Amino acid sequence: MEAALIVPLLAAAVQSGTPILFATLGEMFTERAGVLNLGVEGMMVVGALAAFLTAQATGSPWLGLLAAGCAAALVGGLHGVVCLHFLGNQTVSGLALTIFGVGLANYLGTPFIGQRAPGFEPFDVPVLSAIPLLGDILFRHDALVYLSFLLPPLFWLFWHRTRPGLALTAAGEYPRAASAAGLNPVALRWAGILAGGFLVGLGGAYLSLAYTHLWTNGMTAGRGWIAVALVIFAFWRPGRAMFGAYLFGGVMAFQLRLQASGTDVPSSFLLMLPYALTVLALVLSALRGRGASSSAAPAALGVNIEPEG
Amino acid sequence: MEPPRWGSIFIFPVALGVSLGVSCLLLAAQGKSPALGLEVLWSGAFGAWYTVEDTLLKTVPIFLCSLGVAVTFRMQVWNIGAEGQFALGAVGATWAALTFANLPGALLLPLMFACAAAAGGAWAAVPAWLKLRLGINEIISTLMFNYIGILILEYLVYGPWKDAGSHGFPMTSQFVPAAVVGHFPGTRLHWGVALCVVCAVGLWVLLTRTRPGFELKASGESLRAARYARMPYNTLVLLVMALCGALAGWAGLLEASAVTGRLQPSLMVGYGFTAIVVAWLARLSPARIALFSFFLAALRVGAENLQLELGVPAAFGGIMEGLILLTVLAGQFFNGYRIRPGGAHR
Amino acid sequence: MTVQPATATPPPLVRLEGIGKSFGPVHANRDITLDIHAGRVLALLGENGAGKSTLMSMLSGVFPPDSGTILLDGAPVRFQSPREAIDAGIGMVYQHFMLVGRMTVAQNVLLGQDRGLFVRPRDMERRVGELAGRYGLDIDPAAPVAGLSMGERQRVEILKLLYRDSRVLIFDEPTAVLTPTEAGQLFAALRRMTGLGKAIVFISHKLEEVLDVADTVAILRQGRIVDTVARQAVTSRHELARRMVGREVLLEIERAEAPLGGAVLELEGLSGHGLDGLDLTLRRGEIVAVVGVAGNGQKALVDVVTGLAAPAGGEVRLQGKPWAEFFRDPPWNGAVAHIPEDRLGVGTCPELDLVDNVLLTTRKGFAPGLFLDKKSALGATRAIIRRFHVAAHGPEVRARQLSGGNLQKLVLGREFFRKPRLIVAEQPSQGLDVAATEEVWHRLLNARMQAGVLLVTGDLNEALQLADRVAVMFRGRFMAVLDAAQARDLEKIGLLMAGVDAGAPRA
Repeated sequence: MEAALIVPLLAAAVQSGTPILFATLGEMFTERAGVLNLGVEGMMVVGALAAFLTAQATGSPWLGLLAAGCAAALVGGLHGVVCLHFLGNQTVSGLALTIFGVGLANYLGTPFIGQRAPGFEPFDVPVLSAIPLLGDILFRHDALVYLSFLLPPLFWLFWHRTRPGLALTAAGEYPRAASAAGLNPVALRWAGILAGGFLVGLGGAYLSLAYTHLWTNGMTAGRGWIAVALVIFAFWRPGRAMFGAYLFGGVMAFQLRLQASGTDVPSSFLLMLPYALTVLALVLSALRGRGASSSAAPAALGVNIEPEG
Repeated sequence: MEPPRWGSIFIFPVALGVSLGVSCLLLAAQGKSPALGLEVLWSGAFGAWYTVEDTLLKTVPIFLCSLGVAVTFRMQVWNIGAEGQFALGAVGATWAALTFANLPGALLLPLMFACAAAAGGAWAAVPAWLKLRLGINEIISTLMFNYIGILILEYLVYGPWKDAGSHGFPMTSQFVPAAVVGHFPGTRLHWGVALCVVCAVGLWVLLTRTRPGFELKASGESLRAARYARMPYNTLVLLVMALCGALAGWAGLLEASAVTGRLQPSLMVGYGFTAIVVAWLARLSPARIALFSFFLAALRVGAENLQLELGVPAAFGGIMEGLILLTVLAGQFFNGYRIRPGGAHR
Repeated sequence: MTVQPATATPPPLVRLEGIGKSFGPVHANRDITLDIHAGRVLALLGENGAGKSTLMSMLSGVFPPDSGTILLDGAPVRFQSPREAIDAGIGMVYQHFMLVGRMTVAQNVLLGQDRGLFVRPRDMERRVGELAGRYGLDIDPAAPVAGLSMGERQRVEILKLLYRDSRVLIFDEPTAVLTPTEAGQLFAALRRMTGLGKAIVFISHKLEEVLDVADTVAILRQGRIVDTVARQAVTSRHELARRMVGREVLLEIERAEAPLGGAVLELEGLSGHGLDGLDLTLRRGEIVAVVGVAGNGQKALVDVVTGLAAPAGGEVRLQGKPWAEFFRDPPWNGAVAHIPEDRLGVGTCPELDLVDNVLLTTRKGFAPGLFLDKKSALGATRAIIRRFHVAAHGPEVRARQLSGGNLQKLVLGREFFRKPRLIVAEQPSQGLDVAATEEVWHRLLNARMQAGVLLVTGDLNEALQLADRVAVMFRGRFMAVLDAAQARDLEKIGLLMAGVDAGAPRA
């Protein structure tokens, strides 16, 4: 039976795509406010560690989740200080943030390698999980997966139907127009960095509290960078981000399964898949989009707000 | 001439102070004495001649990678792929060393250098081409090429190139003597140090004395002006990327040939990323790159010593690298030195 | 045309009293007194650099005056920021629109205006639509701004001010980006606004449109108000022009005759990129001015002639060679020089020193092989600084440290150093003061001795002063190529610029 093979794979795709989805949406949120933050990988791994340590200490994965969001937002705050107030180069600052974050998580996490912490357990959503096929794929996961389902529509609503959403868009498109309209673009960008960072942290928490329940160094393994690429691939649109995240989740799950099945394909090549796919995805969207990617990007992305006058 | 800004002299010391301060807090948080930690850090890097040798040995790959990275940054091409280019350079050199093991050193070594440059250069040229042709963001593509390049190296040493006598360890067999870059007599310093000097001088001449160098500078300053003045932008981008790949490739060659004597995954310790930090701290100038390469190499050696002596995780060095770069970036606000964003997504 | 009857004048809405402003040694405004009345259009007429924008920047809160007072409803006010001015009911429509392209018209108008979390697009669009209807501004409130024409974008800016209950609306050269039709629509809207009690200030250097729209005309020259006249009192346009320009309009710039040489640029049916069958032959020894409202194809023409864009249709020959052959490997000297409109962003690298900026287009002359001869380049830069009277502390200063006039002189010096046969000059005197303008003009006139000059300008006066022939451009076409004497007929040129062929019988 085909479904017997495909359904678990798709379910696994959703599961391993979820941390990427959180990180992608977080970075998308920050970028739509006009700030390019390449520190996702660093923030994500710090979030993962904060989640793990808090959950282990308090026994509550929910507190761990909160801690992950706050820790990642805090690290992201460094980017905010450097770029919004000292007008540092956003590209380099983001890189520095990743170097710092990865270093910090490895440093603080080393004593805990291999230890376990209480995490999120999967549960079946009543009624919905009974839907044939779809129920098995989508509704037999943990709470964080269900939370992530809500985010893309909420994002759409936020950007198109709320006043703060419009203000944030203005800060990302044309900060001077925002300030001419009486808004404070620097404050708006701060909101973009912190809220986006919080979401990135949740992605990290998913890795340490739901995907696994234990700590290993380097557990993000480039997922933060894939998220940065996915924002471009998704043309800054939350719906496409969901598709992209599950696509990558699928490739990662497929790769793990293939390895477990004892295939002849060298594991190095399997491990390469997500990274090669990232480049391929960008190539395809460039070929199909024909410049759509550059016009979809927030107009003032990566451009600092110089003081006026 | 711009009036010199004296504040700029203090940026780095202040950044270093802040970073050291935070690092001390982190040491204290793990129950280690900060004072002792700093002392071990210092003595690890500069405590004896052999530690200084270690530092110099680590300076070489960082310096070569950083030289290349800096040239691409000048063009506002955000190439962070030195790590992967380093890996491919090592792979290219190893291929030559294993395939033509019978050749004399006078032929084999140049061949290895050519292969390392070609492999590293090609690994950098592909993302450059994707950027120019399709507008693919080079930050992402070079980064993904890092992961892929490292995995290629791993595939080779775990698979086809694995030494039969390595007891299952992932490594190639020892290079033949003709494939090993020699040492300065009486020291552990290899001839790569001299190569660094040659490359730096060559690059300095290229950048300051030649027409392509001038075109690089002007294109980096203003793309619109470069277009107006009919500068060959696409050619220049391919050139600097290939140049960076070749330099990083040579760094990989030197590590494989002169330091470990074989290809193994432990070569990949993130020199390519440190090189980015160095390039920015040095504000893209070759002379300062030498200085900061040495400094960050010392930090690495010192951090390794911390791990040995006090059991401090090796990641300590990364924290300091990141912090120094962040604080320097903020500090450059007072220096008036800012590179306009290249528009990462356009 | 509706003209307000000059009854007993009510007190002004805004009175500027003895306003003065200096930037360093330059007196931008001196002792200016001016009344702005509700329900009237006040035109500020003056040349580039006369001080019009400076004056209005003070009124709209961009910077404060050095001396004098601004009275609003009779009470002195002092604005610290444009926002304070807007809150007080004074707003400005800038030449560069402050609009978010990704958002709709309604979203732009209401940005930062209301409270509450959620927005209802329908409701926003209805409110903005009503406002637009009241002032006769034709616009779709639901349309994304990115897809709008310049004229429509300008309407959005106007709506932003109207929504904020502005009583004084200042327009800075509003027709520069408009097509003639859109300009007509704008004028109708202005009248509607004055009819509803708004005060309008209209900044312009174009005589015709000022006479079309203004109730009162204030003429600025060199930072002073030289005259304030009611529209009805204007009997002679030439009189007005003379007062605006000062003596220059009468005192011809001295132009030695230059012998005509061979053709340096030939266009035959040049099309594509929005161009439509351009024919022109430019010879050594003459200046041909291309005039027209910005955005009618001038940019595309310049790109083709300077080799940045390939001609899509028709034929282009430079110095007798076909375009493709000429630009395959164009010589750095003895060929084409280009003086771009954006001196600081395109013509120079702001952060590089003057030597490097001279090398920008002359680098091949200082690098016979791979290596650059920096010493000769330094010498050449010194010579340019001296010969072109560039006021700079030395060759090592950076381009951005030079004033606009000195930068332009440096660019001219550099481009002339290449001994070009064809010079393309875009808006060469834009934003320059009178002295620098005069110097630039003299240089261009002298350049005719060795080259043909294609002068692309929106400044009719400049065209008349310099050109041997004037090509009027409209929607990618040359409406006519007039010789200098014919071009003196301002009315005819104005009609041609608006796309009306004066040769054809008028409706």
